[in-house]
Amino acid sequence: MPEWVVDVLFLLMNGLIWGLIIALISLGLSLIFGVMGIVNMAHGDLYMLGAILGFSLYPIVGNFWLALIIVPVIIAVIAGPIERYVLRPYEGYHSVTMIATVAISFIIQQIGLATYGGIPKKMPDPWPISFSILGVSYPGYRLLIAAISVLILVAVWLFLYRTSFGILIRASIQDKQMASAMGIDVNKVLISTFVLGSVLAAIGGVLAAPVTQVSYLMGNDVALLAFIVVIIGGLGSLEGTLIAALGLCSLEGVMAFVLTPTQSKAAIFVIMVIILMIRPRGLFGGKER
Amino acid sequence: MTHRRTFALGSLAVFAVLGLLLPSGIRSLVIQIMIFSVFAMGYDVSLGFTNQCSLGHSIFFGAGAYGAILTIMHLKAGPVLSLFAGLGAGFFFAIVLGIVCVRLSEAYFVIVTAIISAVFHLLAMDLTWLTGGDDGLSATIPPISLGFAKLSLYNPLVNYYFVLLFLALSYLFLERVIKAPLGKIFIAIRENEKRTQFLGYNVLGYKLIAFVISASLGGLSGALYALTLRYASADYFSFYWSVLPVVWCLVGGLGTLAGPWIGVAIMSLFQYYVSAWFTYYLLLFGILVLIVLKVSRKGILGYLLAKGAK
Repeated sequence: MPEWVVDVLFLLMNGLIWGLIIALISLGLSLIFGVMGIVNMAHGDLYMLGAILGFSLYPIVGNFWLALIIVPVIIAVIAGPIERYVLRPYEGYHSVTMIATVAISFIIQQIGLATYGGIPKKMPDPWPISFSILGVSYPGYRLLIAAISVLILVAVWLFLYRTSFGILIRASIQDKQMASAMGIDVNKVLISTFVLGSVLAAIGGVLAAPVTQVSYLMGNDVALLAFIVVIIGGLGSLEGTLIAALGLCSLEGVMAFVLTPTQSKAAIFVIMVIILMIRPRGLFGGKER
Repeated sequence: MTHRRTFALGSLAVFAVLGLLLPSGIRSLVIQIMIFSVFAMGYDVSLGFTNQCSLGHSIFFGAGAYGAILTIMHLKAGPVLSLFAGLGAGFFFAIVLGIVCVRLSEAYFVIVTAIISAVFHLLAMDLTWLTGGDDGLSATIPPISLGFAKLSLYNPLVNYYFVLLFLALSYLFLERVIKAPLGKIFIAIRENEKRTQFLGYNVLGYKLIAFVISASLGGLSGALYALTLRYASADYFSFYWSVLPVVWCLVGGLGTLAGPWIGVAIMSLFQYYVSAWFTYYLLLFGILVLIVLKVSRKGILGYLLAKGAK
């Protein structure tokens, strides 16, 4: 096989794995928007918080997998009160939630800066094994990320489509008022959805920590990408989000072959604008309720 | 209505007197407040009058700043001409982006404008040959020639009244627009977009007009800021500059034109004094925004006016 084909294949694979992490994060974003009407600008910062907590807990607990379980619990404890006491009155008013979450995002970032410091750090590889694929050695941890992400995505899918609580969440996406009228405890659905979405972002953060730079601003880039994914997939559409995340990130990975990172960001942005010109509600977005 | 006008004209008069009295440190803070007031007032046309919550106004601010600095650097233009170049840059970007964004629904609109401003920030950081990146570009501002005299913006008093002049002009322009039938249509769109459509108005067209007016003032404000600091950097495109106008308008009062001035004054004083002793000033900024949202969404002037009306 010619060398450039191998290169492109590996770029595609990197993109796809990154796409799985982005899929986790943007699925959370999409759920939160779909159920609660919150445009969560602080989502990227929950991802950042997940990464920083993972980074700091790893030396303490000494086991990456334990950290991967503890961090989401911590994030859940933080996210619950944020929804209940800060965001609840604004839910459904998109612009207001956006401003409120921007404020929360500033707060989280500054706390991150104050406690963790401003210098990006590199986390040691928790699973330093590499596999040989097509004669090139490929870090095993990346493959592991892919496997874990797929597992979590499947679990979320089963939760949403095969459990009774998942039905309540989907019912609330379809029509919150009607769901409430049918006797569903919507408040419980709201808080658990927000926690679920935030936990997905935090897991994404922990998983991504060893393959990126951990810094208090790392959430911004990811939030940008997640929002583009959610917009292209269609706000509130879960399958659209998944497809857009995988598609876009693979594309971005392959584009890295010829373009600089900023250029490929711009290219993705152009794709988004074109899709919005043709379909103002994204690829899979339905009518807004 | 009249209270609002009295407040605005009164503040303009106070600004005019203050220029002669203030010591130079505070005077440069007041210059900043006046520049941001132009931005805030423009933003109010978008959020307060047509209910378009844009998080992309940093694009117009940055474009205005670069429009002014680049015309001075490369075309040797005078300050007034460069100011109009900045305004024109805001106008141009507003039309291009407005055509894409205006027809989107509320949630898409906020998100897409935020994404666009983030991408512009990335591009501005990247295209260093044009923008100077994070270090920015600084320029020497030529004097304004009035035929009989030459006024240099390096003189702080000239700078002060130059900015004040444009604040007054933009206020009078917006006041005129809001009083005209056009302003009535804006308010109709804010109150009930569907019904306005049914009455036969081209809602998207009017929203685009409001967006463009708003963005042009953002460009003007960016140009004034760049001329005052003689400097423009990619940082002007950052998300912070998109959030600030929202906060100014929320604090001061939406849909009151002059209300955001109060917001600007409070936030500028807050930043000036708090950031001096607290490094993590953005933390307090976030908390303040949450408190403002909680207490009153009408803002300070809106609250006072509602009280006076009773």
